[in-house]
Amino acid sequence: MVLSFLFLSGTILLILQTTLLNILPEWLGRPNLLFLFVVFLGTSLDLYKGLILAILFGLVMDIFSGIVLGLHPTIYLVLVSLLQFLSRHLVINAPGNQIPLVAASYLLTSGSIFIFATILSPGNRLYWDWGSEILQVLILSVVCIPFFTFFNWLTTIFYSKNANHHFRRQKNGNRFRIN
Amino acid sequence: MIKKKNKRAKRIRLFLFLGLLLFLFTTLVVSTVGRQEFSGPHKLALEILGTAQYSVSRVTGSLRKIWLDYTALIAVRDENARLREELKKYKAANNTYREAVATNIRLTKLLEMKEYIPDPSITAEIIGVDPSQWFKTIIIDRGSGDGIQAGMPVISAEGIVGQVVNTSPNFAKIILATDPNSAVDGLVQKNRVQGIVKGGGTSFHMDYVLKDKDVATGDKIVTSGVGGVFPTGIPIGTVTKMEKTGRGMFQEIEITPATDFSHLEHVIIVIKKDPLAK
Repeated sequence: MVLSFLFLSGTILLILQTTLLNILPEWLGRPNLLFLFVVFLGTSLDLYKGLILAILFGLVMDIFSGIVLGLHPTIYLVLVSLLQFLSRHLVINAPGNQIPLVAASYLLTSGSIFIFATILSPGNRLYWDWGSEILQVLILSVVCIPFFTFFNWLTTIFYSKNANHHFRRQKNGNRFRIN
Repeated sequence: MIKKKNKRAKRIRLFLFLGLLLFLFTTLVVSTVGRQEFSGPHKLALEILGTAQYSVSRVTGSLRKIWLDYTALIAVRDENARLREELKKYKAANNTYREAVATNIRLTKLLEMKEYIPDPSITAEIIGVDPSQWFKTIIIDRGSGDGIQAGMPVISAEGIVGQVVNTSPNFAKIILATDPNSAVDGLVQKNRVQGIVKGGGTSFHMDYVLKDKDVATGDKIVTSGVGGVFPTGIPIGTVTKMEKTGRGMFQEIEITPATDFSHLEHVIIVIKKDPLAK
């Protein structure tokens, strides 16, 4: 039920991103909503559910983007694992830390795609454009806090208090306690 | 004594009344029979009374005007609102007609291009774009159920678009010619110098053109037809930059695409038997 709901939400975001947001002018930038959602899942869910959804969304991304199958699932898997590791040892769920988290995650993901795609297809070089990358980072930084707030609220009302153990709880008090 | 006084007072009042009546009667007769011009006293009375009349009539006139303006304004406001609604309706209709004309022009161009292609072809609409900014792929609303197979070339009214890479029964994924993984055999239209046109994100670059070949800015690049993927002569783009300096034996040529990928809505898929790019 949890996975279905989250998968459906991510799919809706992807559809919006590939259709509706395409109307926006290119200079304004188009936020990568699915990526933002993957980061949200990496910081909010437990490890196994996060990894399953990362693989699923990676497979979906492979359908819509690029021609090298397996690239996105691999990168999302690594990203979610890293976010899970960081969330256990650092306070990355706090709103103030989400912006640098998203920015760093995006740059890491973009860099990984660039490197992997270049290695896998050496004759077809990708072009790294700092302008568009920085624009995307800025857009994601602006959008991430309301985005995370919205989905935190959505998942909270979706679940009752009794089912709270399915989620990594918002830490109160001793935030450095390891579960 | 008192009774006598009262009687006397009554008699005086009666004489005064009759005298005044006689005077007024005489005045009436004289003024009717005599000349009809105002005399001094008449004029003076007129001046005084006339001024008072004038002042009062000005005030009442202003009040009447205000009232009439107010009642007229209500009607004007209603008419204004009605006219605005009508204008909105006509503006919307105008926009619809403009869109219809633009679509007509676009589809006419597409039809002309379709007639130019010897192979059978099918048109499709773009329904989705690549969510990432690294790759350039699109999703169209035609699939294997419509006879589309991977490897089939895709073009537009302006020039090449890309190639089909994956299909499902009702949809297909197309890799655009601007994608770094795309490579199309092209030639310079003026002197038939051949090269490989590869995607560069937003533009093309032509590789494997020797330095001794004559390529200049503004030259048109078209498909060569080599390999049997794209029909011959489909516009690819225009040379915008070329460099012969540097190491290596090939020129560096940059090409601006003939197709405006940012405004692409419809594409043509050329139906080929057993496309080679499988």
